[in-house]
Parts: sequence; structure tokens; C-alpha cells
Amino acid sequence: MGGKMAPLPHAGAITSHGGVSVKRREGRSTLGWQNPVGTEAAAQPPTQERQVSRRTVLKWAGAGALSLAAAPYVFVPRVSAQRQRTLRIIQWSHFVPAYDVWFDQYAKAWGEARGVQVTVDHIAFSDLVPRANAEVAAQQGHDLFMFISPPAAFEPYVLDMADVVQEVERRHGPILDLAKRSTYNPVTGKWFAFSDNYVPDPGCYLKSIWTGIGMPDGPSTWEDLLTAGRLIREKYPQVQIPVGIGLSQDIDSNMVCRALLWSFGGSVQDENEQVVLNSEATIQAVEFMRTLYREAMSPAVLSWDASSNNQAFNAGQTSYIVNSISAYRTAQENGLPVADDTFFVEALRGPAGQWACEHVMGAYFIWQFAQSPDLAKEFLIDLVDNYRDAVLASKLYNFPSFPGSVADPGVPVEERPAAGQAWIEEVCEDDPFGSVPANKLAPLKQALNWSTNVGHPGPANPAIGEVFDSFVLPDMFAKAATGALSPREAVAEADARVRQIFAKWRERGLVA
Amino acid sequence: MSVSSRLSRGGTIQRGEGLRLADRSDRLGALMAAPALLYVLVLVGIPFILALILAVSESTAGSLSFQFVGLRNFARVVGDPIFRRALRNTLVFTLISQGIVMVLATTLARILNTPFRGRRLVRFLILMPWVAPVALSSMAWVWIFDSTFSVINWTLRAVGLLGPREWLYWFGDPTLASIAIVTVHVWRMLPFSTVVLLAGLSSLPREVQEAAVVDGAGFFRRLLHVELPLLLPVLTVAVLFGMVFTATDLGVVYLLTRGGPYNTTHVLASYAFQQGVLGADLGQGAAIAVFLFPVLVLVAIGMLRVARGTEVGH
Repeated sequence: MGGKMAPLPHAGAITSHGGVSVKRREGRSTLGWQNPVGTEAAAQPPTQERQVSRRTVLKWAGAGALSLAAAPYVFVPRVSAQRQRTLRIIQWSHFVPAYDVWFDQYAKAWGEARGVQVTVDHIAFSDLVPRANAEVAAQQGHDLFMFISPPAAFEPYVLDMADVVQEVERRHGPILDLAKRSTYNPVTGKWFAFSDNYVPDPGCYLKSIWTGIGMPDGPSTWEDLLTAGRLIREKYPQVQIPVGIGLSQDIDSNMVCRALLWSFGGSVQDENEQVVLNSEATIQAVEFMRTLYREAMSPAVLSWDASSNNQAFNAGQTSYIVNSISAYRTAQENGLPVADDTFFVEALRGPAGQWACEHVMGAYFIWQFAQSPDLAKEFLIDLVDNYRDAVLASKLYNFPSFPGSVADPGVPVEERPAAGQAWIEEVCEDDPFGSVPANKLAPLKQALNWSTNVGHPGPANPAIGEVFDSFVLPDMFAKAATGALSPREAVAEADARVRQIFAKWRERGLVA
Repeated sequence: MSVSSRLSRGGTIQRGEGLRLADRSDRLGALMAAPALLYVLVLVGIPFILALILAVSESTAGSLSFQFVGLRNFARVVGDPIFRRALRNTLVFTLISQGIVMVLATTLARILNTPFRGRRLVRFLILMPWVAPVALSSMAWVWIFDSTFSVINWTLRAVGLLGPREWLYWFGDPTLASIAIVTVHVWRMLPFSTVVLLAGLSSLPREVQEAAVVDGAGFFRRLLHVELPLLLPVLTVAVLFGMVFTATDLGVVYLLTRGGPYNTTHVLASYAFQQGVLGADLGQGAAIAVFLFPVLVLVAIGMLRVARGTEVGH
């Protein structure tokens, strides 16, 4: 800075030839730099304008840019040449924030005990798939990646987790069948993910309203729900949506639509991964939804996102939703009156059975390009060893995929699954987090009896994943419910979409 | 040595002195433009070429493999009723919102071109929607149009325009959801078009307008036969930008309706995201995404030709 300045043609002139004019006052320019002593310009009277050429501006700009570029190398201390072992984890921002606090502390302590630097990144659940795509494209990213639904589409690019599953089973007993069908591909024989937890999806109802219509214990069948919906609409006109079953492009709608479909005997695929959506059972389920929508719901459910049912429920604008307990826990923490009025029921029974989709399927996988795959596997095994703490940190939101992992210490392996299940029943009967009454969560204690995986009765596969992520089933139900298509047409259209998706993945050898 | 010292009185560079980069306008210009060109090449050009390659491949999410399938992805999406609806929505949302924007922007620009107390504040406020992050503003609109808690509905009910059993389910009805999307697009694009038209209005030769007044031209005659023809080049640029921004926008639809109810409000960008990224079918997603490109190129060329033809001297 401070290059030679040409003498000005005359005092006070505006610069020419593309120069920049800068007025100087008492040795300091209006741009704030100190006048360089000893230059020709320094001899100019304070009030005189000086000329700055284009070249000078470029020099300053260049010098500034170089300084900025060099600054980190000059001022930032060099990182120690000795590389520390690292483990990078990415997972969703849990619906029960206390779990994230516990997990982050656990991961940090785990790393400190082993001289490993562990970082945990939390992102919104809706960003998990785009983020995973980006990491594959870049061939770098996190060592452990957690999904909340089976990530079957990534199977070719992840490590086989069979050794992790075997080791955990050796310690705690077998994995749940529902978790296995969400993380194991029988066609390729590969465990493409490792499940530490699943989350039940019970019904939540407002006891005050249901008591008002003479059903204080809530519904137990889909037919009960329809009957109650009609009564609530009649008796409580201020409740905009008597029954809040989502029919939109969101995760909760995806889950509850499957619950209804299975309870009527329909499904997207059979046990052998063959498409069987277009069936009389499916048409009956769709017809039932059409009636339910017209007599007990409103078009609001067509536009819901994952939080809408909670909001409507907390505001008393709907009396029944299908959801996990996270909204209830939030209401409890915030002291909302709705918390005491919230009660739970098991999955509703239909003509063909009692089913609900797991609300969340926690599934970790390790990229083939992960930097620390062995550490990642070790971390997962140790995490399951501490799973009772995890369940309590989630305030009973997470249920273990290995029931034996929550058994008391010292229980022999062969007895651990039963002991773990007994503990789950115990905490559901006597909620340690202040439910009134204490057994409010009792309907969840046998959740395993009615919870199943997304691809029920078959396993997870990329085709089921795409059907899930493109919201084919909520669309099918919504079109029939609104009259955009007849039930038969809606089912036929959805079936065609599903077959197209299956054919594509079958060509790639990932579906039977 | 400074530039001025090396120039003769006639302004020519003295012989014998080599030209430095700073004195070479041609090379300096290229150097100055290089970062912008590099930006366009790296962040627009290369991804676009990748999209074209993906569109003729069978790529899936999480996949690095490439299998050429020709135009199969295009054939598949053309047969998809949701795609056809998304294409129609893209065109309808763009044309309707831009039509409304042009009418409102012209009106606003005329108002803001007239001196009045607080004009600077009003100009600042009008620019706010343009500078607000789309994710933030769309979330506000989500609440405004929420099917259960819409503030519009509560207001309409409070003033007696909605009965106790009446309710507008903004995002639950395809028509109302489309209206909501167009409304947000108009709100987003209006400031930009207004500022562009305001700049155009400010530069109109006053003599021409005064002559029209002297000749007895009324307001509409002056607007339609004097101002708008003179504003056409500027107007064209505003419309072109507005159309491109609206037709390629993902955020508004994705944040407001996510394409619902039952896939009736998807536009090409949101449907491409749903199929390509969320649905794991990158090939099909890319085919959907690039579908509008030739249409937009033709629109751009046509509009720029119109604008050029209306410039003085052409």
C-alpha cells in the first residue's frame, strides 16, 4: 500500500482516466487509511484531492486478497501432525430432545475413553435422504449414518452389518423379527443396516371428548373409530376434525394408511416380495377410508405434515390421532392441559387383524467409504450394551430392537429377551416420567404384538422404500376419499405405480 | 508511474512504454469477468450437463453407476399422469402469477414514481419480500394458509363472511392450494418487477410524456400508447426473469403443499425432487427436471428478441 502518486494537474481536480477520487482531510482519507509518509502525496495540502489510479486499486485489491488468503496459515496454529482417530455420526434431531442431549454426552464419553474424537451431527429427519445421496455422490461423509426408516436403496454402497448383529445377539439375545425384516435383504443375504430401536405407533385420544360420547376407553376397532367420529361431529361441532387420520404426503400418513390396509387384509407386497396391492381387501380398506373421511374427517387431513396432527390434537381440533408418544411428552414438559387429557390405545383391529406400522425404525449403516468402519461397529455394539439408558433418555419413545439389551445386568443371555420385555412392561405400567395416571402408557407394553415393518408381510427392499417415499398409499386413499377416483380406480392406479417401481428394482437384482 | 503521467495531451499512450494489464481494457475485462464465468460454469454448467447425463441413465440415489437407457426415462415420465399435471401446473402457475405481477408492478411503480410523504419507507417495505429468505417467508405463509388454523379463515369468520360450519381448507383442496401457491409467487416476484419497472419509468423522457399531455392524451392513452411501448424492453426483462424464477422454483411448492393434496399441486421442480431425491430414482428425476429447459430457452430467446426489437435504433 502507498505506491507513488502522480502529481495532480491542479488542486481539487477530479481524477480522470478511470482513477478513483479520494478526499483527504488532515492526513487521513475518507476511506480511513493513514497517509503514507514520504510520498509525493504526503506533501499535498490536507484539503487537496489525490488521484488513485486503476492500477493502484488493483494492487491494493490484490494485496488484500493475498493477505486474506495467507492469514489462516500465519495466524492459525498448526494442527498437530499426529492424527487422532475420529468417528463421525449423523442422525436425526430426535422428537424427544432429551435423547439427543444424552446421546451426545454418551458419544463424547465413549470417545474420550478410547482416545477417539467423536462428532455427532443432528439434522431434520426430512433431510436424511438428500444428505445420504450427497455423501454417496461425494464418496465421503460420516462413518455412521442413521435413518428412521429402512434405507434399502443404499444397500449396494454400505457395509454388511452381519458381524455387528451376531455380536449383539451373542450378548443380548435375538433381534426382533420386525427389526430384521427392516434391515436384512433375504434376496442378497445382506444386513444393509443395523437397528438399535423401533418406535410404536399407538392411537392417541382426548379422554374428555371420548367420555362425552360414552366411550371413555377410546376405540379398539376401526369400526369404533367411525362410530365415534360420527358422534363427535354431532356433539362437538367445535372440533373441526373429529378423527385425525392423515391422508397427505407425510410420514405419519404413510404409517397410518398402512395400518388400515393391513388391518383389512391388504398389503403392497406378499412375503415373497410380489406385488399384491390390487385386491378386494385393499378395495374394502379404501372404501372404509372414504366413509371415515366423509363422516368424521375434513379436507385438512389432505394437507397435513408430520407436526399437523400433533398441533390439531393439542389444540383440541381433533380427538384421535395415530402417533408416537413424543407429542404427549412435549405437552407434559410444557405443562399443556392436553397432556392430562391424552390417553393411548393399541393399534385398531380390523376385519383381518390388528396392525400398526412402526412409527420409527432406527437403522444405522456404514458407508463402504467410511474412514472408521471398525470404530463405527464398536460404537454400535457398545450403544446397545447401554440401551436401557437410551430408552430412559428418550422417555420411553425408543423401544429396543434387541429386547435383551434392556434386561438387568447379569441376566444370562438366554433369559435376557424375556427379562427385557418384562422391564418394558414394568415401565409402561408405571411411567417414571410423571404420567397421570402412572399406567397411561400401558397400551404400549404389548406393542410388539401389533407392530410390524413397512414392507409387511414381506421384508424391506428398495422398491418398498420408493413406494413409501413417493407416498403412493396416502395418494390412493386420498383420491378415493375425496371422490377424485372411485375406490377401485384408485387402487388400480396405485397398483400400476407400485408394479412399475418393483419392476425397476427387480431388474437391478435387489427385489425377489 | 501513474496512468496520467504516461498519457500525452492527446490521450494516447506514449510509444516505448509497455502496456500493463491494468491498462489493457480488453484483457482486464476478461480477467474481471472470469470469476463470474467460472461460477456459472462450475455451479450451473457442470451440474446441468450432469443432469442431462443422468436423464439418459438408470442412475439411482446412492449410486455411482451409469447405464445408458436413451430416452426411456423421458418416455416413462410422459406417460405419468402426475408429471403431466406438474407440467401443466408449472405453466399455469407461471403465467397466472406473472400476469398478476405485471399488472400490480406497473401500478405500484407508477405510485412510487410519484412524490409523496414516506415514499422511501414504502419503497423499502416493498423490497422486503424479495430479500426475505424463501424458507422463512414460506413458513409464514404456511401458517397463514394452514388448513386448520388459517388466519384468513378466522378473519373471514370474524367479519361474518364465513358461517360457523364453513371453512376454507387452503391446502386440502387442489384449487385453493393452487391459489395459495400463486399468491406466494406473486408476493415473491412483485418487488423485483416493481423495482425494475420503477427504474424504467424514471428514465422515460419527460418531453414525450409532456407532449402527450399537451396533445390531450388521457391517462389510459398515455399509459397504453406512450409509456408501455417505451417500457417494453424493461418490461420484457422483468417478465423473463419472473417466468424463469417462477417456473424453476422448488421452494414455494415444496414448503407450502409438498405437491399435495394427492399430487395435484406439484410443479416440475418439486416432482423432480420427490422422484429423484426422495424416491431414489435419479434418472427419472433428472428427466423431469430438464424437461422445461428447452421451453424456457425458447421463451428467453423470443422475449429478448422482442426487447431488442423495441430498442431505439433497431
